[in-house]
Amino acid sequence: MLDIKGLQAGLEDGTEILKGINLSIGAGEVHAIMGPNGSGKSTTANILSGKPGYEVTAGSATLDGEDLFEMEPEERAHAGLFQAFQYPVEIPGVQASTFLQTAVNAKRKVKGLPELDALAFVRELRAKAKQLGIGNDMLKRAVNVGFSGGEKKRFETLQMALLEPKLAVLDETDSGLDVDALRVVAEGVNALRAPDRSFLVITHYQRLLDYIVPDYVHILSDGKIVKSGDKSLALEVEQTGYAEFEAA
Amino acid sequence: MTDVFGAEFLDRLHSAGAVKNQAPFEALRTHGFPNRRVEAWRYTDLASQLAQTLTPAGLRINQEQSGLFGPNPSVEAVDGDALSLLNAAVGGEGFLFDVPARAKLKPVFARFGPMVGSALVNATNRITVGEGAQAVLVERWGQTDDSWMNSDTAIDVADGGHLTRVILVEDGGHGTQTHRTFTALGENARYDALVVTLGGGLHRIEQHVDINKPGAHAGLSAIVLKKGKEHSDFVTNVRHLAEDTTSDQQVRTVVDDEATAVFQGGIKVAQDSQRIEGDQLSRALMLSDRAQAFTKPELEIYADDVKCSHGATVGDLDEDALFYMRARGVDEAAARALLILAFAREPFEALELPEAVETMLDGKIQEWLGVAGRFEELDL
Repeated sequence: MLDIKGLQAGLEDGTEILKGINLSIGAGEVHAIMGPNGSGKSTTANILSGKPGYEVTAGSATLDGEDLFEMEPEERAHAGLFQAFQYPVEIPGVQASTFLQTAVNAKRKVKGLPELDALAFVRELRAKAKQLGIGNDMLKRAVNVGFSGGEKKRFETLQMALLEPKLAVLDETDSGLDVDALRVVAEGVNALRAPDRSFLVITHYQRLLDYIVPDYVHILSDGKIVKSGDKSLALEVEQTGYAEFEAA
Repeated sequence: MTDVFGAEFLDRLHSAGAVKNQAPFEALRTHGFPNRRVEAWRYTDLASQLAQTLTPAGLRINQEQSGLFGPNPSVEAVDGDALSLLNAAVGGEGFLFDVPARAKLKPVFARFGPMVGSALVNATNRITVGEGAQAVLVERWGQTDDSWMNSDTAIDVADGGHLTRVILVEDGGHGTQTHRTFTALGENARYDALVVTLGGGLHRIEQHVDINKPGAHAGLSAIVLKKGKEHSDFVTNVRHLAEDTTSDQQVRTVVDDEATAVFQGGIKVAQDSQRIEGDQLSRALMLSDRAQAFTKPELEIYADDVKCSHGATVGDLDEDALFYMRARGVDEAAARALLILAFAREPFEALELPEAVETMLDGKIQEWLGVAGRFEELDL
């Protein structure tokens, strides 16, 4: 599924952030990356999805053998990568449902499937939105405009449900959510767990991992994975803090 | 005489026997056309228009639905401006649109042209909206080649009347369109105009509004989409001549290639006109380094109790929004088109246009973007 080897990367201005990351995620697995602020968690997610402003200086990342760094952001999405953003962008004037239809049809086109017409798409959209407690009023609004923190994260989850990725990278999905909102989003994510779908859950706090239970936990510190383990590692971090894991 | 700007153009018209009204023609011969030393024409040069040899022709009017719509046989000079003089001198039938008091009309669509070849088309139009009447008029002015369509429209909205007017100026060729509107508003009257200009060589659309009575409102907006070497000049002149009146001007410009778009936005508040609100916002998207967008707000305020605002921004598309869409698999061209479409549609919000009108304009904008029919609002 995902193979990251010797990844070194940073900002375009030369600031070094990732200093050699190795990570393999198999099909159906849920991996969590935990780490203190500034350790490179979000950078890892952004580099995988191809966000402008970053530069890869060494190493590779492949998704089912395809080199992600050779692809445009939309090609990575078509290949099955999905990043649920920490701060979803507001897009005034672009109706949420129009945007979703455009995204779904773009992927279908690449896969050689017929595009969904308005009627067929609305049927699918409604069914999936309902599971996440997303009403028509939200879908009629502009993308993320006027959405609460919880609504934004639910909308990210809806996009994931519609686009059915191979690998979903959840970047600090818990940030800005109260417990109730967190539960709704986590249930939405858990409903998408499948033998052929993997997750990379990036978080600062252990709390999210009570809801989305990982198979593996990695501690990221100063741009390197300094320890890997099972879900008990997350509980350990919760008790001792990150200081213990800081790279020498 | 030859040092008057456009003298040879006028001579050609004269020799072709095109002059119907001598007085405005003589005035034009004396003063000539405005050159770029005239402030209001600083950004727009008529030289290549005046170098043309054009054949005067009548306006083609296509309008079938409404009995309230008809030809206007009278040709009277509306204003002292040189292009109005040209209109009056060469003449030409325009249209009349009369909305009786208290009528509530369904949208009326009227099409002018498309003109073909190298014609000079002049038209004087008159719109009257009776007391308490409501009407939506959608005008489409178009041509396929190099004609020059020049018109003056006088509008009178009586007390409590509301006219919503969409002026779609769309050209397939490199022609010229110069249209001026002079609107007078009665008490609590309302005039909402949306100008959409696409294609063409040179488009100059002027909207002059006299807010004569308290409680009246003028909303003037424009969607200007220009590429190639196209040139647009959108001119407004809102005069608050009575107290308790409001106006709002919204201009959205998208310029690509070597196109130029100008907005000259005027708000004038007379000395005794208190409690006035006048807003103006011009936003431009530059899609090319060689494109140009000029905004010139002109505020003249002689009263004390006035809230006027004006703002202008020039920018590129939101990179974060582009990336967000691409990360969802939307290719860059489509993501850009979605953002430009959203930007161009912004003036729709204040207008409450009938759905059929909005859909038609949406289609025109998408066509301009090269994504005709691709995006639709879903019926949820």
